[in-house]
Amino acid sequence: MIDFSAYGELTPHIHGFRCQKCGAIYYPAPMICGKCDSKRDPVTGRNWEEFDLEGPCTLLTWTRVWNLPEGFNKKFLLFGMVSFPNGLKASGRIELEGDPRIGMALVAKAIEADERPGKPVKVFLFEPA
Amino acid sequence: MAPRIGIVGAGHCRFGNSSDYDLVDVIAYAANEALEDSGGLALRKEVDQVLVANMAGGLFNRETAIASALVSRMDMEPCPAELVENGPASGASAVKLAYMAIASGMVDVVLVAAGEIMRSVTGWEATDIVATMAHKEAEYNMGLTLPGFAGMFTRLYMQKYGLTERDLALVAVKDHDNAAKNIYAHVQIPVTIEAIADGPEAGVVNNYVAEPLRMYSTCPITDGSAAVILVNMDSPKAKLFKRRPIRIAGIASATDTHCVHNRKDPLVLDAVRLSAEKAYRMAGVGPADISFAELHDAFVIFELLISEEVGFFERGKSFLAVRNHETDLNGRLPINTSGGLKAKGHPVGATGVSQIFELVRQLRGEAEEGRQVKDPKYGMAVNFGGFGNNVVTTILAKD
Repeated sequence: MIDFSAYGELTPHIHGFRCQKCGAIYYPAPMICGKCDSKRDPVTGRNWEEFDLEGPCTLLTWTRVWNLPEGFNKKFLLFGMVSFPNGLKASGRIELEGDPRIGMALVAKAIEADERPGKPVKVFLFEPA
Repeated sequence: MAPRIGIVGAGHCRFGNSSDYDLVDVIAYAANEALEDSGGLALRKEVDQVLVANMAGGLFNRETAIASALVSRMDMEPCPAELVENGPASGASAVKLAYMAIASGMVDVVLVAAGEIMRSVTGWEATDIVATMAHKEAEYNMGLTLPGFAGMFTRLYMQKYGLTERDLALVAVKDHDNAAKNIYAHVQIPVTIEAIADGPEAGVVNNYVAEPLRMYSTCPITDGSAAVILVNMDSPKAKLFKRRPIRIAGIASATDTHCVHNRKDPLVLDAVRLSAEKAYRMAGVGPADISFAELHDAFVIFELLISEEVGFFERGKSFLAVRNHETDLNGRLPINTSGGLKAKGHPVGATGVSQIFELVRQLRGEAEEGRQVKDPKYGMAVNFGGFGNNVVTTILAKD
């Protein structure tokens, strides 16, 4: 008997992608490497390596959004754009008290969010380091 | 050598709330206006191709295949008809494709009809639908919206160049002044700097949407339609239309990364600059030749940034020009004479054609009293798709 729940992804992750031919890294995944023209098969991922995109990052800019779209029941949400030490950048939510500050150190992790209809989605959450 | 291509008919409805009406009827209204402007409804039988611009009728109105519906509603079968969807740049993209169709020699007359009915859903739903143009996995799923991106973008610009919230309000005051004189505008109400920036109640009147952007930094949710008729000015059919053509001197587009965070400098709008450079080259003119411009100010920060990318002002200096009233109707270079997306309104799929409609009116000298630019020669429109990732620049000339 297989217990399918044991094989599910228990901890959400958001992946960066590395082209194994030339080493270029991306987030989100491209279909063609912009450096060496290698193609990526979205099913098998052959010749591409996935890695967890998380951990220390630096806040590039931020906003507090008061008019959230359909499905969100919060008064507001903080959003930000960050830069990782490997050069990749990403956008996501910020969770902290008060106002963020451009240039502040944050830590990125992935969470699951289910505000909108359909399957839960993976979301970046940036928290104070 | 490419033929000379001009606009011989232009139509527009009053922007606002059309949500009790059918999307195809609203688009057909503007198309009828354009045909009547060009010489009469019977001229629809001379149209070789219809292009309909709409971004999200399937989501806002549960209506699809609207190009087919439009030709049937207007008794234009068997005229070929296709839908053009390029986000909020659908309108100018349709005009560009119409230009290409005529330049290719396949057709001589194209009707471009554009429209969007967004107020059929709640503001929250509309915000969500418009956000679907963002990257699904890396942006939309995060909960990010276009106002959210614009807020982050504005904060960066403020930090780098010293822009203030009051500067943003000055752009809004100018745009509302212009819209108040425009019979087609959604919000025909002027606002004062005291009311939205300087006064004690300004924070209430002009509340935050996506900090540091406030309500008066942001376009309203608007319904509406606009249409133009393009002809090969060198074809025999051109003589059938009574209006003197306003020539399309240059029209070009360019793209940028889908994900905003993947740009080397998020404050640099490469697609705007590249599309403008191409349009300038095609027209044989430069920024100094432009008499007035309609720039895609879905958020007033865009008016500033675009005006820098197309070469009107140095990077980081455009808001100083606003402070000096250089972009007012009577200024050195009037910008968003229609009121812009900020006050005229932004029915997403219609906006690009609406901007070109404004260029035509100004170049013909048909704008309302007090809103007419003095003796314009060249007008420019910049229409944004996505968050600056698919941009069309159009330059019209009065010959």
